[in-house]
Amino acid sequence: MIVCVAVVGHQNNPLYIQSFTEADDALKLHHIVHCSLDVVDERVNNPKKSGPTLNETFLGLLYPTENYKVYGYLTNTKVKFILVTTDLDVRDVDVRNVSNAIHPSQKIGFWAFSLLIVEDFMCRISFLANWAYENLNIDLLGWFIRGSMLVVIQISTSVVLL
Amino acid sequence: MEEYPEELRTPPVTLISLVGCPELHALISSHLHSEQPPINTLALPDFSKISVIFSDKSSDGKAASASDPSSPTPGILKRDWLLKHRTKVPAVLAALFNSEQISGDPAQWIQVCTDLENLRNVIRPKNIKLVVVVVVPATFFASSNDDLISEDRMAALRKRAELDAKHIVFFNSGDELQLKESLNKLGSTFAELATTYYREEGRRIKTRVEKKNFSSIELNIRNCFKVAVHAEFRRDWVEALRFYEDAYHLLRQMVSTSTRLPVIQRLVEIKIVAEQLHFKISTLLLHGGKIADAIAWFRKHNASYRNLVGPPGVVFMHWEWMSRQFLVFAELLETSSKAIQSISGPASNTAEKLTEWEFQPAYYYQLAANYLKEKRNALELAQQSEEAAGGIDGSAESVAPSVYVGQFSRLLEQENVLAMQPLTDEEYTRYSIAEGKRFQDSFEIIALLKKSHESFSGIKAKRMGSLCAFQMAKEYYTVADFTNAKQLLDDVASLYRSEGWVTLLWEALGYVRECARRAGMVKEFVEYSLEMAALPVSSDTSVQSFDSKDCGPAGPPSLAQRENIHKEVFSLVSGEVGSVSIGDNLDLQTACNGPLHLEIDLVSPLRVVLLASVAFHEQIIKPGVPALITVSLLSQLPMNVDIDQLELQFNQSECNFIIMNSQRPASTDGRQGRRVERAPSLSLVTHKWLRLTYEVQSELSGKLECIYVVAKMRSLLTICCRAESPASMDDLPLWRFEDRVQTFPTKDPALAFSGQKAAQVEEADPQVDLVLGATGPALVEECFLVPVTVTSKGHSVFSGELKVNLVDVKGGGLFSPREVEPLSSDSSHHVQLLGVSSTDTEDDPQVASSKIMKIQQSFGLVSVPFLKDGESWSCKLEIKWNRPKPIMLFVSLGYFPDVNELSSQKVHVHKSLQIEGKTGIVISHQFMLPFHQYPLLLSKQSPSLPMNEASVLVVSTKNCSEVPLELQSMSIDMDDDHERLYTLQHGGGGAEDMLGISHLMPGAEFRKVFTIVPEVESSSLVLGSVALRWRRKSETQEACVLTKYKLPDVNIELPPLVVRQECPPYAILGDPFAYVLRIKNQTKLLQEVKFSLGDAQSFVLAGSHTDSTFILPKSEHVVSYKIVPLCSGMQQLPRVTVTSVRYSAAFQPSVAASTVFVFPSKPHFQIAAAADAENKELEPVATE
Repeated sequence: MIVCVAVVGHQNNPLYIQSFTEADDALKLHHIVHCSLDVVDERVNNPKKSGPTLNETFLGLLYPTENYKVYGYLTNTKVKFILVTTDLDVRDVDVRNVSNAIHPSQKIGFWAFSLLIVEDFMCRISFLANWAYENLNIDLLGWFIRGSMLVVIQISTSVVLL
Repeated sequence: MEEYPEELRTPPVTLISLVGCPELHALISSHLHSEQPPINTLALPDFSKISVIFSDKSSDGKAASASDPSSPTPGILKRDWLLKHRTKVPAVLAALFNSEQISGDPAQWIQVCTDLENLRNVIRPKNIKLVVVVVVPATFFASSNDDLISEDRMAALRKRAELDAKHIVFFNSGDELQLKESLNKLGSTFAELATTYYREEGRRIKTRVEKKNFSSIELNIRNCFKVAVHAEFRRDWVEALRFYEDAYHLLRQMVSTSTRLPVIQRLVEIKIVAEQLHFKISTLLLHGGKIADAIAWFRKHNASYRNLVGPPGVVFMHWEWMSRQFLVFAELLETSSKAIQSISGPASNTAEKLTEWEFQPAYYYQLAANYLKEKRNALELAQQSEEAAGGIDGSAESVAPSVYVGQFSRLLEQENVLAMQPLTDEEYTRYSIAEGKRFQDSFEIIALLKKSHESFSGIKAKRMGSLCAFQMAKEYYTVADFTNAKQLLDDVASLYRSEGWVTLLWEALGYVRECARRAGMVKEFVEYSLEMAALPVSSDTSVQSFDSKDCGPAGPPSLAQRENIHKEVFSLVSGEVGSVSIGDNLDLQTACNGPLHLEIDLVSPLRVVLLASVAFHEQIIKPGVPALITVSLLSQLPMNVDIDQLELQFNQSECNFIIMNSQRPASTDGRQGRRVERAPSLSLVTHKWLRLTYEVQSELSGKLECIYVVAKMRSLLTICCRAESPASMDDLPLWRFEDRVQTFPTKDPALAFSGQKAAQVEEADPQVDLVLGATGPALVEECFLVPVTVTSKGHSVFSGELKVNLVDVKGGGLFSPREVEPLSSDSSHHVQLLGVSSTDTEDDPQVASSKIMKIQQSFGLVSVPFLKDGESWSCKLEIKWNRPKPIMLFVSLGYFPDVNELSSQKVHVHKSLQIEGKTGIVISHQFMLPFHQYPLLLSKQSPSLPMNEASVLVVSTKNCSEVPLELQSMSIDMDDDHERLYTLQHGGGGAEDMLGISHLMPGAEFRKVFTIVPEVESSSLVLGSVALRWRRKSETQEACVLTKYKLPDVNIELPPLVVRQECPPYAILGDPFAYVLRIKNQTKLLQEVKFSLGDAQSFVLAGSHTDSTFILPKSEHVVSYKIVPLCSGMQQLPRVTVTSVRYSAAFQPSVAASTVFVFPSKPHFQIAAAADAENKELEPVATE
């Protein structure tokens, strides 16, 4: 099961981090997400080594810890989505499908972000979705507010920071 | 890895044994050891030792192998089996005999036979191979060894030893070559036989494994292990690996089935054996370069044993074991990657993809440390429960490792005989806890993390490295090494700070704050506490809940916790004794008795605590005039903070002032002579700007900048905050993404975007007039005067200085020799400042000249004498233009209005004036020949003049300026170094022609005619230059300007022929007249001349049309025509052409020269002199 979802900005600053565990290792998950950025950096800087995942935004398994697996997804705007699971025998393909949910080619909402939306901004979602469609001409998958920044996950270009 | 026995860590090496001829043993064993692969040697000096060494072991071995199949096997692997086979049981036994012993007398031969018999008896049960080495004496030089020992004796030897001929080796150490040959032969024989031995042994055990010919799984594992070791002996790595893996898999099955030992010890034994097998497998894989396979294998190993934790009391043993697995694998990986160098990268063929970090030893070191930490925690629990249960008895002391790997037993000494007694699980647990106490786990953990940290930092994984550093710091914190902990945590915190990971930063700061508290560092403690209190952790608390036990000493990040910290630190700095719980360290409270001074600069993390923005309302302020300045303070502390007093410090310290909080009792320290303002309240509210606007007044011109804002809070805390301009102020990085209302530091939003913490103070207004009095354009060459007047109107002028600058209007630069025009070589500057003449220096010219400090071509510096209020002083600038161009004249006066230069500021007055420079006089010239006279000039050079003939030079002068000029004189002067080589006649007569006063109005022209008769022949005769003296027409008698105009050099030559044309000035219709051409030959040669005459309709003429004649030297030929005009009016005479054959030159008079006016009848003439100065020639005027 997925225990942590994080969105990390292009300067490696956390935009959103949400863990779904029984509280005792939330801090540990913060550390894991933070450390996994090293692997993202490494893969971005040395695209040769990463082999077949060269042209994909899905970075695959980043970081095996003893109890978790960390998967990464890098958008065009260098925003990273980090997914921590406890399923140690999960296959890459399965995670890829989950991540593909936020990939432009698919129109299924990424469940974790949908969850956030439902939790925090239920009342505002329809308004914003309509507004974005009319003004920016984009189909929204999800969005959330971080400080003064509106992070919009959209279908055509992955992520827009307004 | 070091704790493993040597025989396990290194690959097995073949062992052979030597017996007999002890003098050769050292030689042979060192040779064998240097072989590739090496062979170890067990050297026995003589045959009697054989039975001693082999006897007890062999019987023991036999007993073990032939044990009763029905009885349970007491263990899996014997502890000393591997050592025994590496050091005690040789594969080959070499018996060395001297050749004399074999070929000698029967007694010796019988001894040899007995020895051989004994040997064979000893080695037969173990299948050890035998080699007989016959040592040939060094003095023997026979071609064949057959000569040494008879054929019969050799056959007998073979029979006795039951050996093939090839296993009887002759050892000849006669010379170096033979020795080498013998040693090589020995080596190859030994190697071959050893391989055979190990193969046979392996096969024998393998057969047992394959037939499943044993009672227990333990034996199966043991046999697999033995087969693998034998395969290793003969370097068959593939088979070794296969059987180790088999043993490993069998062992894993044993976990659930074995019942032989008590449950704890059973698990311990299995794990230790598994560890050894895993170590062997990993080593083989890594040495084979299969790094990816080794990692995958380790992953499997880890997965299959991780959950075998064991009973609760001994969990720590499991964690210790796990930690060791990671540590050993990390060390293996490190050594092998050093050896292999290139890591093959994640192999794609493995079932599951490996990630980058799994190839890094650092990853395993880090996990080893983590497990060791788990072990320590579990051990502490176990110790506590043990102590609660009644302490540890001394029985643990006599526990020792038993015969089998991974088993322990009690050592009992009964009547000098040592006996092993099995342990119960309780005893074993107690023993392990006692053992565990002996180790300092924290240092071990720190060492592991340090390795990991260094390694991660080496591959630029700074976040992983940081995590290791963080964990290290936590360990240091646990062992109360606060200095090291703080040092590490500072680095870690700065990374989290820079990337904005607030939660992690909170945790790190929590630790470092506690370190500061425990170490009694008050300032640091306050700084960390303030930073923590101002961290943006409130917003996420509803979503994220953290377990307080994991969050370190600071507790979970929450608003409540921030408020606690805030209260704690402020009660500390208020000096309220006893209000802070400072734990067992009282030093902090006592150390905090003194004042505390914090500095916050532009990059300080404490900017969130107090941010000071200072903005001047005006960018430029007048001296002595109050200007408004707004100080805005922002704090992110969770609770309101009252400031006692606020001090603003400027670069001009006289402007500093203090703002007191009216609600607080005023303290008078440290503000004597300062301005004090009072504010009704100085309370900082969270996220809200505290804005204060005051007046500030500066007397000094220049920059006025607010540098620091110093806030005093409570009795002890002073925060010195560097002032920031709102226009260039950075956001607070950590708060950037938080939900908060954006407010401006100033009320006026425009000021918030453009406000600066510095303003420019202007100079005092000058009260002195500076007048530049030039009128009209300047003329080139004249000395143009610009009067400058300094008039004091309120200020006295002390140490006045006048700076004069000439600047090109177009280029803006000064006049330099780099100017493009090449003609400027005579005077490098087109416009020059010649000097400054002061008007009121009649009394003492010496003083005046000394006052002129410096005059350069385009720059002047003149000192102005002391002027009282109302006085004035003037001077004249003399400027000369060499080229016509406009310039800008800048004059600036700098002076002190006060006699004391130090106290007062210099005041400047600037004036500028654009002055056009124009050409006043233009001179031109023209050469002309005398009337109707045409010398033949052969050279093409121009201008050329004929020698000894009079030529006319007309010089004209034009006034191009807009003012009337007066001409004084015009003459042609020779330059100093030239002689006049021609006769000059002035048109008006007289050598120095004074014109008197000749006025030349703007645009008017003046001409003067000179006659020149050259006297020498020259290719470039210097004519000299025209000197014209002129001046402006004005009342004041200005000095004359001398303008020189250089006449060109002319070519003077003697013309060979001169043609003169003679005809009357007019003709009368029908009246014949003579038209004569006189051709003069000036040469000493006979000249042939052809001439022809064209027809003209208006005339009838007499004379030959064409003719040719010869003219004698120095004589003249006259061609004469009689012509009768037929028409009246201006008529063209018949055109004459004269051609000189010698010079191929033709002459034809110009149309103008051959035109004549024909009157219809004879006119009456009156000679009239033309009065017009411009045209002095006589002209015929017709009157009726």
